[in-house]
Amino acid sequence: MGDVSQLATGLRRGTLEFCVLAMVEYEDRYGNEIVRRLGDEPNLAAGEGTIYPLLSRLRRSGWLESKWVESPSGPPRRYYGLTMAGRSALEHFRTEWVSFRQTVDRLVGTGEAA
Amino acid sequence: MKTNNTDVVAEYLREVDQRLAGLPVLQRRELLADLAAHIATERDERNLASEGEVIEVLERLGTPEAIAAAAHEEAGTRPRRPETFYPPQQPAGFYPPSAPPVPPARARSANWTLIALLAGGAIVVLFVLCGFLALAGGRDSAPEPAEMNAPPPPTPSATAESRDVPAPTVTG
Repeated sequence: MGDVSQLATGLRRGTLEFCVLAMVEYEDRYGNEIVRRLGDEPNLAAGEGTIYPLLSRLRRSGWLESKWVESPSGPPRRYYGLTMAGRSALEHFRTEWVSFRQTVDRLVGTGEAA
Repeated sequence: MKTNNTDVVAEYLREVDQRLAGLPVLQRRELLADLAAHIATERDERNLASEGEVIEVLERLGTPEAIAAAAHEEAGTRPRRPETFYPPQQPAGFYPPSAPPVPPARARSANWTLIALLAGGAIVVLFVLCGFLALAGGRDSAPEPAEMNAPPPPTPSATAESRDVPAPTVTG
């Protein structure tokens, strides 16, 4: 039981943040949008609320920027957008990920050719 | 009804906050503000009225424990009081999060360092021994050629003698 959840945690660590970056690649989104979308993927997030600390770290490390925007009706929303550093981090991840995935597929036997 | 909903939310946020001890103050406030804004926005966008619907929003957010654990992991801080006694420079993600008892882990790591030291010592001793053996072997093998060079004077005579000796036997 512990092994299963630890595997998911381990796989998530280091990849989830790039899913977040990719979500705001073309347009700024507010917290609820990001969190809801990722929360819909059961193997990606342990709960919607666990994404907020991640958003905070990505903002502190300079990959995301955020601003509070008044909403026409209802409470203000916090919008997140990609910085230049975040954009290049995402690009870097994409190249790394493809070769990483191919290597693992080859070694574990999960590739299409296998 | 509305006060009930706010009670549920306030209680939830309080439970999260209680578990954020040790987190930098600004990050703690930021997370609580983010969660409060999330709940307020969900309520507004989806016109949530009943307490059950609000609780559903909280359930989707996750347990206060799970959120606090994520916050501590991202901040590199330790979730519980006893663990703040240990030096903070220890990387947060070093031990699996499901292993809160740090002392055993440290004891284990102390044992491992001991074993590593012993193993290292043994290897050093082996190397020294090997060095001595190699030197000794070198000395043994070095004189041999010298002896091989030295004997030639006697060996020719020996062969001469042996030639001399069989010669009579052959002739004899």
